[in-house]
This record gives sequence, C-alpha cells and structure tokens, in this order.
Amino acid sequence: MSDLNDVTSPLVSVRDLTKRFPTPGGMVHAVEQVSLDVGHGETLAVVGESGCGKSTLAQMIMRLLKPTSGRIELDGTDITEIGSRAMKPHRRKMQIVFQDPFASLDPRRQVGKAVAEPLLVHGLASKGSELDATVVELFEKVGLEADHVNQFPHQFSGGQRQRVCIARALALEPKLVVADEPVSALDVSIQAQVINLMMDLQEQMGLSYLFISHDLAVVERVSHRVAVMYLGQIVELGDRSHIFENPQHSYTKRLLSAVPIADPRRRQDRALLSGEIPSPVWADGTSPTLVDHVEVESGHWVASED
Amino acid sequence: MTDAETETGNPVLSVRDLTVTFGSFTAVQDVSFDLHPGRTLAVVGESGSGKSVTALSIMGLVELGTRGKVTAGQVLFDQTGSGDAVDLLELAEADMRKVRGNQISMIFQEPLTSLNPVYTVGNQVAEAVMLHQGLDKDGAKERALEMFNLVRIPDPESRLDQYPHEMSGGMRQRVMIAMALSCDPTVLIADEPTTALDVTIQAQILGLMRELQTTTGASVIIITHDMGVVAEVADDVVVMNRSRVVESGSVYEIFEDPKEEYTRSLLAAVPRLGSMAGTSEPSRFNLVAD
Ligand SMILES: Nc1ncnc2c1ncn2[C@@H]1O[C@H](COP(=O)(O)OP(=O)(O)OP(=O)(O)O)[C@@H](O)[C@H]1O
Ligand SMILES: Nc1ncnc2c1ncn2[C@@H]1O[C@H](COP(=O)(O)OP(=O)(O)OP(=O)(O)O)[C@@H](O)[C@H]1O
Ligand SMILES: [Mg+2]
Ligand SMILES: [Mg+2]
Repeated sequence: MSDLNDVTSPLVSVRDLTKRFPTPGGMVHAVEQVSLDVGHGETLAVVGESGCGKSTLAQMIMRLLKPTSGRIELDGTDITEIGSRAMKPHRRKMQIVFQDPFASLDPRRQVGKAVAEPLLVHGLASKGSELDATVVELFEKVGLEADHVNQFPHQFSGGQRQRVCIARALALEPKLVVADEPVSALDVSIQAQVINLMMDLQEQMGLSYLFISHDLAVVERVSHRVAVMYLGQIVELGDRSHIFENPQHSYTKRLLSAVPIADPRRRQDRALLSGEIPSPVWADGTSPTLVDHVEVESGHWVASED
Repeated sequence: MTDAETETGNPVLSVRDLTVTFGSFTAVQDVSFDLHPGRTLAVVGESGSGKSVTALSIMGLVELGTRGKVTAGQVLFDQTGSGDAVDLLELAEADMRKVRGNQISMIFQEPLTSLNPVYTVGNQVAEAVMLHQGLDKDGAKERALEMFNLVRIPDPESRLDQYPHEMSGGMRQRVMIAMALSCDPTVLIADEPTTALDVTIQAQILGLMRELQTTTGASVIIITHDMGVVAEVADDVVVMNRSRVVESGSVYEIFEDPKEEYTRSLLAAVPRLGSMAGTSEPSRFNLVAD
C-alpha cells in the first residue's frame, strides 16, 4: 500500500490515514487507510461516491480534523501531531476552499475583509491602499467586480460566494490548495475562467492542488493523476489517462458510464436503484475489509475485487 | 405529451414580466416563462443572472427573507388546470404559507444554510411531513425513513438521528430533496439540486423526480449549470444572462439551434468527457470572448 505512489519528494504525503466517527448507530469508517502523495506542481483529483470520505480526508490534511491514525507529511515534515506554534510556518502553505461556501464565510463581515484578513494575520500586508488594491485584483481574477468587496455574503449568488472563497484561498500564494468542489456553483464560462486561473497559478508558482469534484469532465481536464474513493478507501489510483481511458475497478466504470451527455437525443433510461445501500457504518465488533491494491500498469493501482 | 397538447393546455405556473430589485440594483428584469403540467423546465445561465432570485420570488420568499422588492410582474398559479389562476404575489402571507411546501416546494441551492443545525435531520423531515400532510408522529417518521431510502442515504434508520454537520455535503443535499419530495408537490423547484452528488446518485435523484412526475403529474423547474443534466431531463429551457431571459425554447431548439450568441457560447464552453483522450498534461479551456 505504501508504494501506491511513486512521486519523488512529494509536497504532501499521506500514509494509512484513517478517520472513524463513533455514533449511536455504530462506527462510521469515514476514511480507512488512505495513502497518497501530491507532487510539487501536481493536481491530484479525488473523485468518488457522495459520502465516501473526500471532505473528511481534505479536512485531515488541513489539520482541521484529527486523524484516528496515520501520518501526514508536508514538505518532508511530519505535521500529524505537531503543535500550533510549530505548525505556524507551515500553515500559510496550505489553503482550503470549502465545499459549502456560505457556511465558511462570516455573515457579518464584508467579503473584501474576509479576503484581506489572512494577508494581515500572516503579516504579508498592512492596512491601506496597497492591500485594498491587492484584494480588488484578486476579485477581478476570479471574475468578480471591484465594488463587490464592500458587500456581505448574503448579497451574493451561490457562484459569486464560491469565487470569494477561491480568492481568499489564493491570497496567500500557498503551495497546496485543497479545493473541495470549488467550481460546482459556477456556470460553464466562469468555471472555465476560474479553472484557467488555477492552472496559470500552478504554472507560475508551482502550486499543487488536491482537487475534489463530482464533475468528471472537469477532472479530466485539470488533473495529472486521479484517486477514486469508495466507502472510505481508495479503489483505483493512476494517471489521468489510466483512469479515464483504461478504468479497471467496477466502481470507476460505473461512475464513468453514469456521466450525463449534453445531448438531448442521447438520453439514457436508467432504472431506479432499490435494496441495500452500501454504508460506512459498522456495528460494534465489526469492521470493513481492507482492500489490496495491484499495480496493473506502471503507476496504475487497482483494488482487487472478488 | 405532444407539443399540441402543451400549447392548448393551461400552464400550471406562469411567470410574467417579473422584476426584482435590491435597492438600486435590478436582479431580475421582465422575466417571463410558462411551466406546463407534467413538464420539466430548466433555467440555465450566468452565475448571478437572477435564477435563484426568480425562484425565491415564486416562493414568495424574496421580500420575506431578503431586502429584495418585487417591483413588477405576476406569478400565476393554476393548480387544477381550470384556467382561473391566482397571482401568488397577491396572496396574503398566511395563504402563501399553505402553498409553500404543500403545492409548491423548493430544494434550496445551499443545503447547509437551509437545515437547522440544532435539530436532527430526521426531526426536520418528519416535522415538514406532519405540517403539510397531517400525519401523526409515527407516520411522519415512517415517511421520513421511506424518503431517506429513496434518495439512497446509507443506513437511513440511524441517519435520521444525525445532525446536519455529521453528514457529508451530498447527504445533506439528499435530506433537502427528501423533504421537498415528501409532500408530493404540484410544482417542484430544484435550485442546483445535485451539485454535491456523484453522477451515480445524481442519476437516482433525477430518476426519482421523473417518477414523481409520472405518478402525480407534478411539474418541475430545475436550475442547473450542468448542461448534461439539462439534456437528460428538460423538456423546455430558459436561458438567463444579466437579469434577463435571453432565449427560451424546447430542449432540442436550445441545444440544436440556439439563436442567441450567449446561448451558443454557453454550450461551447461545456466540458466534454473524453476530450482529453491521448494526452497526459492538464489543459486550459478555450475561452469564448463575451
Ligand atoms: N462529525 C461527524 N460525525 C459523524 N459522522 C461524520 C462526521 N463527519 C463526517 N461524517 C461521516 O463520514 C462520512 C464521510 O463524509 P465526507 O463528508 O467526508 O464525505 P464526502 O466524500 O465529502 O461526500 P460528499 O461528496 O457528499 O460531500 C459520511 O458517512 C459522513 O456522514
Ligand atoms: N439578498 C441580496 N441582496 C443584494 N443582492 C442580492 C441578494 N441576493 C441576490 N442578490 C444579487 O442578485 C443577483 C442575482 O442573484 P441570484 O442568486 O439570483 O443569481 P443566480 O443566477 O442564482 O446565480 P448562481 O448561479 O451563482 O447561483 C446577483 O448579482 C446577486 O449579487
Ligand atoms: Mg464532501
Ligand atoms: Mg443561484
């Protein structure tokens, strides 16, 4: 499992990361023994079923959630357990765009201030016209207007709020951006504009992305490598072309074939599913079976199925 | 349903010349469209073009929940198809409250903000069912469980007792969908209902909406950025840009013969699966100039 990734000197290295939530109904195995690397300047996309543990993984990497077990390294430093003082120099290097933009913005604070704040906190700017200009520049980069900076979150549309969050994450020029569904509320033209911006920054600054998305056509466009998760575990991982052009795991295949096609003459009749719904919740004394990965071609790992 | 039938039948919902302002800013300008019984109308377009504000206006929520003002227009609702429609904008709030969640229900764009963080999701769905369907407590809980099963929430029984923050983004979205579908509405307004769902569960949800339509004759307005979803479910499409409707027509007209430049640029920007075959590096999108 630990050789699932052969990225040389990765920016982020995650090994056997596990998160379980005890609940009255049983133990939720949200993330189970996940190992992955994100290289410098690389985009690793994470796709998978709703509820398979993507946001939980993202929040553990960002240290917003304490892992049950496993290890996270950033630039060779083990950051799994280090205290907040030791973490301070590293904190700037990682930023997150949350899945739920409204919930991650303070409703009483003008959005321009929300974007300026991290710059002030990290001592990268002081209040004044220069900071204001930086914020306006960031707004314009994500397709917002200069006079949006004085508005409050509720005065925006869903997609505009999402862009505020992207501007905030990019403000600190981080090394890693964990982007949890960053473009799901954007129309296709603004989505293209924001994604191009993300790619430009990657080229200019060697940024890395952990890119979580349900939109497989977007994932195909932006990623170098792709990890497919199912019920808390990675079931397939490989180069973009491995996953899209030579998918091996039954879940990956199911996912790719369910993508709706933007042509009304090619509608597909899909039967409604019923019966047992696979669940990550396990009763006391039981636990999921850990998958074994087989390398089917160089860098292309697939969980064995039986 | 044939085209002839649609043209002669009365629309169940007719939005006419709707204009909504926030202070000096006009968020929705002269928007008109008809929703016919049993049909699905997709509203697509630019982020910030007024799609959600239009939906909130139909629900009578724009003046209630925000500083918005409906300055002109009508929202004619004809539940029975009799031809004598009521203008929802003229209804007293007490009467509108009966329409909302009963005859017309809505799935909101951001599920976390529309679920109450201090109540379990099961309580919230059961509450809605009791209020609108007159079921008792046990009946409501059973109905909630049935809905959770239909929207494919795993372990539905124990999930009923969870709080919103204990669920994934897509599970919260499915809770909202369960709530909106539970009352068998005449009109369902779904604002970006599947953004947090993977495509396999998305297919299930779209299938459920279709089933609601065939069994109860419900009509659906779906707001989405996903042109694949539009192609899959819509009968009719309204395209919005900068607070206005720029084009509307049948789904075939919009996809195969778009008249407006904006519609064409929107369709051209749709990322297509398989477009990167044979390459290994990521690639920028070609931007179409505005
Ligand atoms: N605080 C919590 N308490 C209990 N269970 C939790 C908690 N947070 C997450 N979970 C559970 O962990 C699992 C994984 O959730 P997660 O949010 O990581 O999924 P996801 O892959 O991001 O899904 P989506 O695509 O729907 O956003 C889910 O079963 C969820 O209910
Ligand atoms: N409460 C409010 N106060 C002030 N302006 C608002 C408010 N709500 C919406 N607006 C503005 O009205 C316009 C239309 O917003 P709306 O939410 O309808 O857009 P949308 O088409 O749904 O966009 P998206 O696709 O991004 O969700 C936007 O420019 C937005 O900034
Ligand atoms: Mg998530
Ligand atoms: Mg909206």
